[in-house]
Amino acid sequence: MNRRTVLATAAATAALLLAACTGTGGTSKGADAKAPDDPSKVSGTITVLTQRTDLVQDGTMEKYAAEFNKTYPGVKVEFQALTNYEAEVKIRMNTENYGDVLMIPAVIKKADYPKFFASLGTVAERSKKYRFTDFTAVDGKVYGQSPIGVMPGFVYNKRVWREAGITEWPTTPDEFLAGLKAIKDKTDAIPYYTNFAAGWPLTSWTYVNGSVHCDTQATTKLAEGDPWAEGAELGVGDTLLYEIVRRGLAEKDPTTTNWEESKPRLAKGEIATQWLGTWAIIQFQDAARQAGVNPDDIGFMPFPAQADGRFCAALSPDYNQAVNIHSEHKEAARAWIDWFTDKSGYVEDNLALSPLQNAPLPEVLKPYEDAGVKLIELDDAAGAQVKEIDAQSEVGIYAPDYRQDLVDLARGARQGSLDGFLDDLGEKWTAAQANAGS
Amino acid sequence: MTDTTHKAARPSPVAPPAPVPAKAPRGARRWRGLTPWLFLLAPLALLLVFTYAPIVNMVAYSFTDWDGVSPELHYTGVGNYVEIFTREDLFQVFFVSGYYLAASVVQIAAALYFATILGFNVRFRNFFKGVLFFPYLINGVAIGFVFLYFFQDGGTLDSVLGLFGVHTDHAWLGTPTSANTSLAGVSVWRYLGLNFVLFLGAIQSIPSELYEAAELDGANRWQQFRHIIAPGIKPVLTLTVILSISGSLSAFEIPYIMTGGATGTETFVIQTVKLAFQFNKTGLASAAAVVLLLIILAVTWVQRRLVPDERVDLV
Amino acid sequence: MTRRAVARTLVYLSLLGATVVVLLPLAVVFLTSLKSDEELANGSGALTLPEKLFNVGNYVTAFQDGRMLSAFANTAFILLFAIGGTVLIGSMTAYAIDRFQFRLKKLVVALFLIAALVPGVTTQVATFQIVTSFGMFDTRWAPIVLYMGTDIVSIYIFLQFVRSIPISLDESARLDGANAFTIYRRIIFPLLKPAIATVVIVKGITVYNDFYIPFLYMPSQDLGVISTSLFRFRGPFGAHWEVISAGAVLVILPTLIVFLLLQRYIYNGFMRGATR
Repeated sequence: MNRRTVLATAAATAALLLAACTGTGGTSKGADAKAPDDPSKVSGTITVLTQRTDLVQDGTMEKYAAEFNKTYPGVKVEFQALTNYEAEVKIRMNTENYGDVLMIPAVIKKADYPKFFASLGTVAERSKKYRFTDFTAVDGKVYGQSPIGVMPGFVYNKRVWREAGITEWPTTPDEFLAGLKAIKDKTDAIPYYTNFAAGWPLTSWTYVNGSVHCDTQATTKLAEGDPWAEGAELGVGDTLLYEIVRRGLAEKDPTTTNWEESKPRLAKGEIATQWLGTWAIIQFQDAARQAGVNPDDIGFMPFPAQADGRFCAALSPDYNQAVNIHSEHKEAARAWIDWFTDKSGYVEDNLALSPLQNAPLPEVLKPYEDAGVKLIELDDAAGAQVKEIDAQSEVGIYAPDYRQDLVDLARGARQGSLDGFLDDLGEKWTAAQANAGS
Repeated sequence: MTDTTHKAARPSPVAPPAPVPAKAPRGARRWRGLTPWLFLLAPLALLLVFTYAPIVNMVAYSFTDWDGVSPELHYTGVGNYVEIFTREDLFQVFFVSGYYLAASVVQIAAALYFATILGFNVRFRNFFKGVLFFPYLINGVAIGFVFLYFFQDGGTLDSVLGLFGVHTDHAWLGTPTSANTSLAGVSVWRYLGLNFVLFLGAIQSIPSELYEAAELDGANRWQQFRHIIAPGIKPVLTLTVILSISGSLSAFEIPYIMTGGATGTETFVIQTVKLAFQFNKTGLASAAAVVLLLIILAVTWVQRRLVPDERVDLV
Repeated sequence: MTRRAVARTLVYLSLLGATVVVLLPLAVVFLTSLKSDEELANGSGALTLPEKLFNVGNYVTAFQDGRMLSAFANTAFILLFAIGGTVLIGSMTAYAIDRFQFRLKKLVVALFLIAALVPGVTTQVATFQIVTSFGMFDTRWAPIVLYMGTDIVSIYIFLQFVRSIPISLDESARLDGANAFTIYRRIIFPLLKPAIATVVIVKGITVYNDFYIPFLYMPSQDLGVISTSLFRFRGPFGAHWEVISAGAVLVILPTLIVFLLLQRYIYNGFMRGATR
């Protein structure tokens, strides 16, 4: 074999592989996953991908599957828990091997949904029963359904806030900061915990969006304007985070925080407050029970802003479950999604908001009813565009990075001013709008 | 690790010594020419399919705007490369590599020091050898955990300093300088053992008569090191230096597990992974990876130019 | 004290210092793994001893949640084939490179070296597509072929050994009519035993420690290996420090045992022919 043949063979092999391997996923288009008419006749083994490694590990998901089998005896459900869900699913979606049921990862462009997922039905029929249908709708068809709704808010220790003399929810960021200051002065608790090291808890701050001005069009404004302009939703949220850290109201060393530890510590009153979401309440209550303190001390409060004298909270879907368009058992997969959403009890088990229209609020959110908090659902028409701008600009509002930088800035580990920082974000964002907007 | 005298004295395999009879027949020669390829068939096939085909793919993606999953991709020419070389923020992360480079200098020096000491008779030699080498065998994620606990507020490091009466409020991962130094320190902790054992092997393969002769000539330890050990370990030192430089430029696992790149600890590879997976710019990320690979190759090439050593076939 | 004694003292001090630096972080994790979650929650310092020295509760948690039995089986299976493959491939490569002169030899050597310099994370999408196109996804063969590929350290170790085998052995065998394969099988391979031992251990530990490949390529629950199984129960939401520590110790412990029992072979492999 001489040099030339070797090189030629290598190049040919590589070219073949390249041709064979690019974009094998998503070649078919337009399949439906219909709900089965007769539960006893559905059969097949389906694989469900989930990010809840904890629930798969402790057998909770198996219990749901066993319950599911009572109605659908012919379907065998297997779970694959992915530790680094987004990255792993993205790699797998380059092939047809991405389970039968999966949660739609953020990376998939909305317009590509019909290439990857089977439709669950039309917006017209589904929106009568379910919330959040427009989050996954393309051309009038719905491709995913979230089993729970989530709402952002502060998880706080009621006892500590009471000890600091605060019994009413703060209504403005300044009042909130004054509250944290009072906690710092009057109690031993850390007023606010960033969970900087875990990173992802910081992304909760993006879900401030809509709650500040009680604006259902907030997402559209993200797509069209500068989210960090004076008084804009994200700007208000991030400024609050900055001030909390700058005034020394957060933990001493954010870089070595520990998410798991933060739960019992908040339950016991060593930490007073964290900005998270309704999904976290159950975890903090469990932590309280394990630590032997009163789970009722765990409270939940909305963002300190009022519109027309009322607090406001924006409801949004969690991960949306969808059916792989390449699935050989679409009926079974569909049956799982419907059952898991409607009947599994997953909502109640997680003290979560139901994705069903007109379902009552969970018991833990009673204070919200009492305080007359207005719940809104954001219009997601511009959601896809926001994601594209976000990726294009490399700002990453759904990633922890820029808020880690913000916290660094606030505690002096990074040079610069808040205004400069926010302006810089806004500049990147609006520059990307020009490219992605079309 | 090659000792040159031995190697040079060895007859070359292609020019067999005299006793071989007349020229082999044509078919046999052809067979001989093919033999090494038969041995290399399986290794090269695996290498090409699982390492080089992905590299070719990566190079191809680097000329596109692919997002990593969409069936659609567009050819963008050298656009990604232009972006990499014109956006200074993408190159700033190489400053972080400086910490790891500095750390590998420390690491190589320390490894040499300990290898020299333990190359000779020292009490508990095996124990120390084992202790120094062991970290290299530990799982990377476990190391991440171990050191997160180590640097925590009130963690191992603070407790130890407390024993000595030093009560510092320093957040070890809190500022870019401190965090990068800490992370580079962890990488020294982890990789020192491999360098150490490679050096030790080289030192111990030097015939002991050489030292004896040197002792008779009245050479002190430093002179022994300078004139006997240093030449003996040159090849393995070369390998180590190349691997250290490429390792510093492509540092990933420890900072990724421990800080995820926060507080100015983002390395080039972390940035590349974020471009690909967070911002779905697989095309740009591929171009970045290609640039990194070219830089590493260039460094290797320059290094070999500076320290030519044709005895080391491998490097 | 004489100068020599001072020097000796300094040498021992430096060794002692290094020992402390290496062992301390590990010792603390070990201590932590024996503590209860209340102890930790009540702010037990890093260096304080656990209340109960034999509190293995965390290990039980880590062990039970880890599906250890199938994990052991899978790990053993993968280790067997991956190491076997690495030994064959590494020794064949080393033999071909050292004993033959052929055109493109430099290129082949360069290919292996460059492969070691490519940061693997950057090519993972393409690698995944190729593995899947061979139908190996979610089987134990995916990690096996990926581990077998291109381990420069193994090849290096084998190369050192092949070099130290006197070429006169080859020549005399060839005069007896042996062909290259017979020479490789009958002479070279048996003489590589110490190197094989080293490669088996070093490669074995690398494979054993790897998380990323099994996580990505074998997501099925029943295909967990030890490293993934132990860390899967952690989940994205983390776990308690004491259980994490126990998990870390459980992962490190087999490595330590293997290392203590077989360290001679590890060093021997790295120190070409020092014992022969």
